[in-house]
This record gives sequence, structure tokens and C-alpha cells, in this order.
Amino acid sequence: MQQIIQKLPSVQAFLFLLLMSFIPPPGHADTTPTGLAIMTRVDDRPDGEDRKSLMTMTLINKNGRKRIREVRNFSKDFGKDKKSVMVFLKPADVKETAFLSWEYDDPSREDDKWLYMPALKKVRRISGSSKNEYFMGSDFTYDDMGDRNVEEDTHTLLAEESVDGHDCWKVESIPVDPEDMYTRKILWINKDADMIVKAEYYDKDGLLKIYRALDFIQQDGFWTLLKSEMDDVVRQHKTVMEMAKTEYDTGVKDSLFRVSTIQRGNIR
Amino acid sequence: MRHFVFALLIVLPSVDAVMPGHQARAEESDQLWLAPFSLTGWAETIQSLRTHSPNDVLTSRARLRLEMTADFNMLYAFVSGDAEKNWQIEDESGLDLQEAWLEHAADRWDLRIGRQIIIWGKADGVQITDIISPPDYSESITRDLDEIRMPVNAVKFRLLGDAITTEFIWIPVFEAAVQPTGDNPWAVSSERAENEQVAMAETIEPSTSLENSEVAVKVAAWLSGLDLAASLFYTWDDNPTYHRSTYSTDDVLHIDYSPKHHRLIVIGLECSRPWSDFVFRAEAAYYVGKYHETDSPTIDPLKKDLFKWLGGVDWTPGNNWSVTAQLTGDVIVNYDAALADEEMESMVTLNISKELFNQTLTVSGMLYFDLNEGESYFRPKADYAMTDALHLLFGADIFCGDEGNFGKYENNSQVWIKIKYSF
Repeated sequence: MQQIIQKLPSVQAFLFLLLMSFIPPPGHADTTPTGLAIMTRVDDRPDGEDRKSLMTMTLINKNGRKRIREVRNFSKDFGKDKKSVMVFLKPADVKETAFLSWEYDDPSREDDKWLYMPALKKVRRISGSSKNEYFMGSDFTYDDMGDRNVEEDTHTLLAEESVDGHDCWKVESIPVDPEDMYTRKILWINKDADMIVKAEYYDKDGLLKIYRALDFIQQDGFWTLLKSEMDDVVRQHKTVMEMAKTEYDTGVKDSLFRVSTIQRGNIR
Repeated sequence: MRHFVFALLIVLPSVDAVMPGHQARAEESDQLWLAPFSLTGWAETIQSLRTHSPNDVLTSRARLRLEMTADFNMLYAFVSGDAEKNWQIEDESGLDLQEAWLEHAADRWDLRIGRQIIIWGKADGVQITDIISPPDYSESITRDLDEIRMPVNAVKFRLLGDAITTEFIWIPVFEAAVQPTGDNPWAVSSERAENEQVAMAETIEPSTSLENSEVAVKVAAWLSGLDLAASLFYTWDDNPTYHRSTYSTDDVLHIDYSPKHHRLIVIGLECSRPWSDFVFRAEAAYYVGKYHETDSPTIDPLKKDLFKWLGGVDWTPGNNWSVTAQLTGDVIVNYDAALADEEMESMVTLNISKELFNQTLTVSGMLYFDLNEGESYFRPKADYAMTDALHLLFGADIFCGDEGNFGKYENNSQVWIKIKYSF
């Protein structure tokens, strides 16, 4: 740089320095990623080719009354798409209900979803856009549980903050669809794990829900969420979600994700 | 109400005795040999009052359902049975084996042998192609749909492709539909002329033999954004045809009925397609060899093919609402004016459901409306989860009309209360 400046006349050198002052120094873009880049990293966080786990949800109402939901999860990547099966174990009246979804990376393509209902002994197709429905009476919507495409929101990096001892990016996500149930979300993402450790969900009336990742570890090289909670501050209702028996890359068979498998009524 | 309280006292402690701590899974115990087994089920009791005079008890029963599974990896077994006490329909009281089957599942095929319930079709609460498991109409259609289906002794073999499933079913033993008879309050017969005298012979059912077997094949495709299926069922009509011979003596018309089941061939098509918050469904079946009742006691039932169809839409607008609407119809091919049914009959169904209070309360209403007769059946229901295991339900069955399929039960309109405990 010095050599270039010395070869220029003084006015030209001044103009050159003025021009250079508008160009950020090398490496600056790498250290401060955009909101979209951060959320893409969260979405792309490595989690193996396939995974299975046992999820327990404890639903707690404002009187402290608890209800338990237990679900066995299986999922597998098929290229950029993902197929997953959830088998309900508790409560007893929905035991063996199975939910199969084929989720597509292309946001313009609607996900395929089927539900097996053991009482009716029948599989029925359900609409792919029921993402804003609450999952089994909990405070998590299907979207909250990870179905949402990154492109469905515009993401803006707001700040860098520390949350519960985690060094985090603070990102604001605003849905592209004005009809979405949330008007905006504020997310705190752990910089090391690319994992959301806190989130605030807002609707047109203000703060609706607060999410917290209570415990997560690195297992088999993958950041794994063990415990989280969603606190609905409006309804004064809370859901604690615990993941157990999480396993990665165990070679889950493709056949598990066929409709004919959930139609059998016993996922094995 | 006395029966209801009595049933509650019997059912709930007995469940606790069978399932201490409501935890049936043996794998959580120290006895590893029990690990493949699991025992689940439910106990329920229902009590109703007729809304019409004499406002008496119409439904009064308690039932315990036990379901046991055994998973030996290569082989999976399922057995379910009912113990029922019915204070209104005494024939329904007793022990009853529901399903009992063995299954082997490989990667590209599976085989299920034994007593099993097989459900086909895309329709809700209406049977178009769904005629593999015959119905039990002991309490008309007021029971939940899953209680109306009866198991059949069958072999079901499936070839499993990634997106296409081919299903073969063999039913060696015929099972007829069950209709209410005798003192059953749902045994409502149409009035006869004073000068008619009726004799009813025993129903002729197909004997169990290879040539009397029922066989079915179905090919179903589960594609991205579209489900399709085509089926062929070589079966027997689950309901008998009331053949008759008549003669007259002294101004009295004698009608001798000889009920008999006939062969049917049913060709079916099904599809469903999601779009946004909607799922569109369609189903059609062509019944070859169907017999139809005539409107004259002296004319024998006539054999005419029947075309049944249904179009429906499920709408989930969000906020825990769901709406299902269906339009369905029957068309008798080569219609004859002597038939009791009209050439074209159609019906709409509408089901609206809303979940409230974190899905602890579900309020729903199912309406059937017969467009030809102007008759209807409405079933409002509220289901409250007192705990995860214990549900309290209130509802009503309201029939409106004259002498048609729904109107004939008008005096059986009822309000009911039910408690169900699942474990």
C-alpha cells in the first residue's frame, strides 16, 4: 500500500486514501456475518445423516397441573430434503399414532404429511401448511420445532450479547408472510454451537412466548439439545421438552419413512 | 344413572388393579422376559337419555378393552378383546375377542394373518370402498366409527415399494353385517299393512369353502402431493337380500321372506391431494351385482349395478379449527321404477371441530343431511381431558325426518354422557 501511495502525486494520493477509507479492511465481513448467514448456519448445523431420539414434553398450566407427552422421533436426510416419523407413546389414548412428513428444502414445494390414527386404523393425508398449529397441546408449534425454512423470514443481526453465559448473536427474524402468527422473533444464537439458546416470539399485541435452551451438549461431534422450555407468557402455560436416547448415523432404514410403514400401526 | 355410577365404580378400580401406576410397559420392570409384551386399553361407560317421550334410558353400557402386543422382532402379535356389560341390549353383554393376528414385516413385503380389522378409503363416516370389515349397527350409527367395524378372519399380504403398495387380501370365512333385532331399541321396522302376514326364513349365508372366499387387491401410490389407489374386491354383500314369495288367502297377503347373501364385485378408486390449508379427497366404487329393495311387497328385489361416489375437503384454517365437508351420492344403473330407492340419492356431511384450553377440550359437531329426503342426523360432542388418561364426554344424537334412513330413529334421539379411561 505504501509503495503505491509514494508513486502517486499528493492530490491523487489523497483521493486514493479517501476512496480506500470506504472499503472495509480485509476480514471484517467474516467476523460479522449477516442475520441470514447466521440463521442459515443454524439451519445447516451438522446433525448426521439420520437421527433418532425420545422426546418427552411436560405441559404445565398456570395451576401447576402437568400433562405428559412422549414421542419417539426418527429422521433422515435425503439430499437436501428430510423425512421424519414421530410415533406417539403418551398419553395412552393416542398411543401408536404416527406422523410421517417429507420436508422439502425448496420453500415453494409443499411438504407431504400423513397421519396414522390407530383408533381408525387408517392413514390420512393432512395439509402441509399446518405449521402454525400447536403440537399436541404444547406451547411449541410445528414451526417452532424446526420445520421452518430460513427463507420464510428476513433476518437482521442486531447485536452481540451474552445470554446465560453463552456468547451469542442477537438476530431479529420477521416473517415474509404478513399473515404469519408471529410478527417478529428475537433470537439469541450461541456462536460456538450455532444453536438458538433463547428466543422471544411476538405477535401484534406484544411478547407472546419465551424459549430457552436449558441444556445442550456435544455428542458424537454434533451439538445436541437435551432440554428446553417454551413459556407462553400470555396463557401462563409452559412446556418443558426433554430429549433422551439421541443417536446419530445409526443407519435408519429408508423404509421407515414410507406411508406403508406407518399404515402398519406398529413402528419397529 | 344408577347403572352409570355402578359402572364407574366397577371399571375404574378394576383398571387400577390391572395397571397399577398406569404403567403397563414391561420393559421398565426388572423382568426382562416380559420386555416384548405390552398391555394397553381403555375402560368406558356411557349413559343416555331419550330426548323424546318417555325420556327413558336408551344407551347404558360399560366396556373394558384390553390390547396386548408382543414384539419378537421377526414376528409381531396383537390381541384385543372386550368385556362389556350392556343394560339395554343384553346380547351385547359378555366377552368378545376383537383382533388376534400375527405379522411378519420384511423390507419389501409384510404378511398379517388372523382376525383383523381392515379399513379402506378416504371417506369420513361414509362407506364407499370401505367394505372389507363389515359394520355392526347394533346401535345404528351412534357408536364411534372405530366401534362399528367388525374384524374379519383374513390373510393380508403387501408388496411394499417406496411409493407404491400392492395389497392382497384373502377372507376365507364370511362375516355378515350386524343389524339391530328383537328388543333392541334401534330395531325400528317400517309399518306394514294390516292385511299382510310375514314369515321370515333363516338367512342363507355362504358356507366356508375355497370358492366362497372373498378376495381383494388394491394398488396404492403415495406420491408427492397426491395419493392414488385402485382396488378390486370380489366379495359377498354384507347385508342379505330379502327375496320373497307371496300368496293371498281371504284378503290376507302372505309374504314369505328368504334372506340370502349375494356375490358382489366392487371396483374402487380413491385419491387425495393437499393444497395450502386444504386436503381434497375423492372416492368412487362401482358395485356389480347389487340387489335393491323394491317398494312393493310382491316384487322381488332387483339386481342393478350401483355407483357410489364421494368428494370431500378437509380445511385446517389454524387456531385449532378443523372443518370437513363431504358430498356423497348413489346412482343405480339401469334404474327400474319399481325400486324403493331413488335413481340418484345424495347426502352432505359436515364436521366442525375446535380444540380449546391447550387442547384439553374438543368441541365438535358432525352433521349428515340427506338431500333427497331432507332428513338429518346431528352429533354434537364435547370431549374434556380431565387428566391425560381420563376423559369426560358429553354429546347428543339428534335424528330429524320421517321414515327415511335417519327419520326412522327420530324417537331415539338422545343426550349422553361418557367417561373414558385410557391406559
